[in-house]
Amino acid sequence: MPGELFERTTIETPAVAVSEMQETSHDRGQGGVAILLAVAAVVAAIVGARASMVSSDANDSWQSSLRTEVKRSAAAMNDVQELYQTDLPTATEILRAQILAAELQAAEPGQSPTVHQALEVEAGVQSQLALALSPGSDLAGNSTYALPSGGYDLGKRLSDIRSQNAQLLALDPDGLQATGDSLAQKALLLTYALIPTGLCALLGVLAQPLRRRRNALLGSGVVALAVGVVMAIGVEVLA
Amino acid sequence: MIAPDAAADLRAERRFDLLAAILIGAIAILAAVLAVIQIDTGQASTHAQVEAARLSADLSARVEVNSTVQNQAIVDEQEALTLSMQATSRQMAGLQYGDDGATAIGRAENQAAADLGAALTATAATSGGATLDPYTAGLVNATTPQLWAEVTEQNRQVDLANDAGARNSRSILGLSFLALAGVLTGLAAVLREGRAGWIALLAAVAMAGAAGLVAVLAVI
Repeated sequence: MPGELFERTTIETPAVAVSEMQETSHDRGQGGVAILLAVAAVVAAIVGARASMVSSDANDSWQSSLRTEVKRSAAAMNDVQELYQTDLPTATEILRAQILAAELQAAEPGQSPTVHQALEVEAGVQSQLALALSPGSDLAGNSTYALPSGGYDLGKRLSDIRSQNAQLLALDPDGLQATGDSLAQKALLLTYALIPTGLCALLGVLAQPLRRRRNALLGSGVVALAVGVVMAIGVEVLA
Repeated sequence: MIAPDAAADLRAERRFDLLAAILIGAIAILAAVLAVIQIDTGQASTHAQVEAARLSADLSARVEVNSTVQNQAIVDEQEALTLSMQATSRQMAGLQYGDDGATAIGRAENQAAADLGAALTATAATSGGATLDPYTAGLVNATTPQLWAEVTEQNRQVDLANDAGARNSRSILGLSFLALAGVLTGLAAVLREGRAGWIALLAAVAMAGAAGLVAVLAVI
């Protein structure tokens, strides 16, 4: 048969056999290119996806820091308003009445009976007023906030009000932001691993037309890919 | 022997393949570089936006708390002043109408006004005291220069966010050009080294060049 004759002839001719061997080697090189490019693509996809995830985590952490900052501010403003706009005005009225009562009583000795009585009545009114207002003020009602020179220790009272909600006092937006910064840095370092992986792709595709230098290009591509993988793993483990 | 035309075709094919390979490799490297720029600028933009928003919230809290504390101190001073004026008026009325009781009460109120003023000044001085946590103390004790410095920093962060956002947009434009370059390279690979194939390949080179230019603009 003609086919059998052709087959026999080609097998028996040394030049054709060498050509076939070269062709097989060429195919093997092509397979190497394909494998290298496929591995580089997979590595790039994994690294890119991981960097994206870490970047997303960084973003979440930053947004949490903003939410925490707003929460912390709102809590502090609420506590300050409670003291300065609700408690302190009443405490000031109580202080005013107490001081007035004390000064009126102090003025009583040595006065005529009429004046003495007027001072006593007025002092009584002020004392009653202070007594009536007292339940409305935690600041005036607690002696620990009384200053030796008169008045109240607002810093101490505000500190106690703030301590009543320890979880709000412990809010730390700066810590969350620092965590976000750290994750962002990690994501950025991970993406740097894409550059040697891209270089690997360049060397891999160049190995296809540049047959004479194919082995060297493929070897260099493998090295570039290994650098990218080591960078990615290093960042993942250390950062 | 290979015919001259066939040899020329072979050379053209090899040139085409080489250019296509270089282009694909360049696209891969540019994609990696643009990905780095995109992540970097995107994160920088988000970070600056969050920082600006945090500073806004902090400024609002500082202004609100500080004005509340200052206002209350002024109201307290007015309280002592009002009592003093009331005392003076009562004394004058007592003298005018010969009411010794009113005069004595007025005198006592005058002394009480002085005492109240001193007590309220001492009270105001304890605002933002050492017992407070640093954050709350910072809100209460905020000064106008501090607030202005914070406003300046907030504005700087907004500018940083805008700048990083613009560079991020450029990097995304570069990635779009790069995607187009990739498609055109694929088209050229299908059309091969004919006229249409070369046009597609050269258009891909132009797109990749544009992506590279945009990448440079995104960095500077």
